Parts: sequence; C-alpha cells; structure tokens
Amino acid sequence: MACGSTSLWAGETSWFCCGNAWGPCTGAGGGACGNCQSSANHGAWPNASQACWDITRPDLCGENIPRRGCGSVMNVKHQCSGATVCITITDCGPRTKEWCGETACCNGTCRSNRVLDLTPAAYSALGDLSSGKLPVYIYE
Amino acid sequence: MNAHQDSSGGIDRRRLLTRAALGGATIIGATALGGLDADAAFAAQQPSLDPAINKSSFVEGRITGITGSVLEVAGSYGDRSRVQMTNVTSVWKVRATTAEVVEVGDGLYARGVEMPDGTIAADAVWVNIVNLHTTIRGIEKQRLHLSHGQHELVGNVIPDTTNASYAGRAPTADLSRLRIGQSAQVLGAWRPSDDSVDVVRVTVGH
Repeated sequence: MACGSTSLWAGETSWFCCGNAWGPCTGAGGGACGNCQSSANHGAWPNASQACWDITRPDLCGENIPRRGCGSVMNVKHQCSGATVCITITDCGPRTKEWCGETACCNGTCRSNRVLDLTPAAYSALGDLSSGKLPVYIYE
Repeated sequence: MNAHQDSSGGIDRRRLLTRAALGGATIIGATALGGLDADAAFAAQQPSLDPAINKSSFVEGRITGITGSVLEVAGSYGDRSRVQMTNVTSVWKVRATTAEVVEVGDGLYARGVEMPDGTIAADAVWVNIVNLHTTIRGIEKQRLHLSHGQHELVGNVIPDTTNASYAGRAPTADLSRLRIGQSAQVLGAWRPSDDSVDVVRVTVGH
C-alpha cells in the first residue's frame, strides 16, 4: 500500500524500541502486530484494535482517533521542517491518556497529545532522537 | 543555486557529508549547514543530483570495533554495518558530545548516507539512547527504581543533567514531585557496564 496525502490526524509523536534490540530494549518483542522492528520505518497507533483502544484511551484527551489496524500505512510529516517518512503500523500505542495536554512545539506552533509512537528509524528521519517528541501531521 | 546548495541558500548537507566522508570536506561553519544539530540535519531534504546518495540510511546495533573514524556495528538481526564518523557528524551520548566518547560495546542508532562501498557516512549518531515507558517503583536521591515491561531498571540521577517534566510543563531540575506508582517516560542513556540508565529527562503525566 502506498503512502497517501489525505489528512488523517495531527498531534505529538514520541519514539520507542521494538523487536530484537540492545540494552533495556532487549526482549521488547515484536509489538501488538508481532513484526515491529526498531530499524524499520514502523509506528504504533492508539487505535490499532479495540483491545488497544482500551489501553490507550485517546478519547480521554479529546482525541477520537479512528481505527487503523496492523499493516496500515501512514505518511508522517514534521510540522515545521516538512521532513516526511512513510510508516507501517506494527504496534499499539502510545498510552495517550497518560499524557493528556502535553505539547510539542516548533516555530511557536504546538501540537498536543501523544497520538503516535515511531520506531527510532522512522523518528530519526524527522528529527533528533534526543528531542523525545515532535509535532507532526499524519496522512494516509 | 548550484548542486551544493539547497533552496534556502544553505549547503546541501548530504553533499557535504559525502565529501566529508571521502576526505574532501572543508568545514564552512554551522550557519551554512543550518546548524550542526541533528534536528536541523535533514530538515529540508532535497532530491540529490547524485543517484548514489538519493536517500538516507539508518543503522541500529552494538559497536563491535572502532578503526580510526569507522564504527563496526553488529545489528540486532545479524546484519553488519560500517559507520563513518565525519567532521560534520553530530554525536549524542547523554548529551551532545564528540566521537571520542564512543566505546566498543555501546549501542547505537545512526542516520546517514550510504557511500558507494556500503559504508554509512553518519549525519547523526545517538549512542546508548533509550526512550522507555516505565513505572516508578522507588525514589532515592541518586537513583530511580523503575520497571520496564517485565524488567527492573535502575535510573541514575545525573547532577546538572537529569530533569523532569510534569504534566506537559517545561522541564525542571526539581525531581521532588515524582511519585511511586507513576507512569514515566524516561529518555536517557543505557550504561552497558551495569545495565542501568543515566536519566536525562523523566516525563510524567497527571
């Protein structure tokens, strides 16, 4: 499936490790879809399934994020730089409800609520891993 | 504008990186590069005029050897890579630093450009960086006790470095509002020697 240009959502993304890995990420596993890898352009979506939704509960932050299951493809764009990366959903996350109201800003414009988690490969295509979070637009 | 400049008049970082890796770079100042920080590095990507460097590459794994400015990396899926550090490579290990602090045994994520011989000329290298969803199990002055999945983890509090962000607010050096049982996102650097993590930022919600 190709990456599209239809607007899906906007918000804050963080990053996480999955699959075979080093350090504390050892044993992180392949995620909810079983095939998540830190070195691939993968992502975690808060509504990858009903079970996933029950954990992440983005609605508690006012984010009624639509269902997009394993294998869904999204184009993620940094709000300010315009850098983009095409990802495949391979996991459930982030736990949006735990970070309600959190913002990520650039050039004076902010996005609130964690609506996406990216693997290091995908996140580093948009920005600096040490930033921890970025404001993004999401397309499909 | 020529092939070495982007649309904003800056130097095409990919081109400079390639030249740096090949030993032909003349460093011309951070302004022309759009800053030497990793955030800015690939911010304004331009189609390369050289088909050999038309997309960025990513490397993940443990450093098994260092030969001069080349890092030998064993990937977590059995793959092997060579990462070329250049004089424009940004390096992070707990903080922005230099290549001298990189050691055999460290974990690594690197972003760069693949050279014709397969070596990755690194634009940015993050050493031992982790970003973990944890639960706070214990709090001491110099360390946090965390659980990450099924594992226990010690988070070292680093003076003048560790900070906390509470409910989306700006980071502060005040860790006194952390509470046992809270979910916490921990950005830090893994210590291979004792499997602990040097905490750079701990973020908690409500």
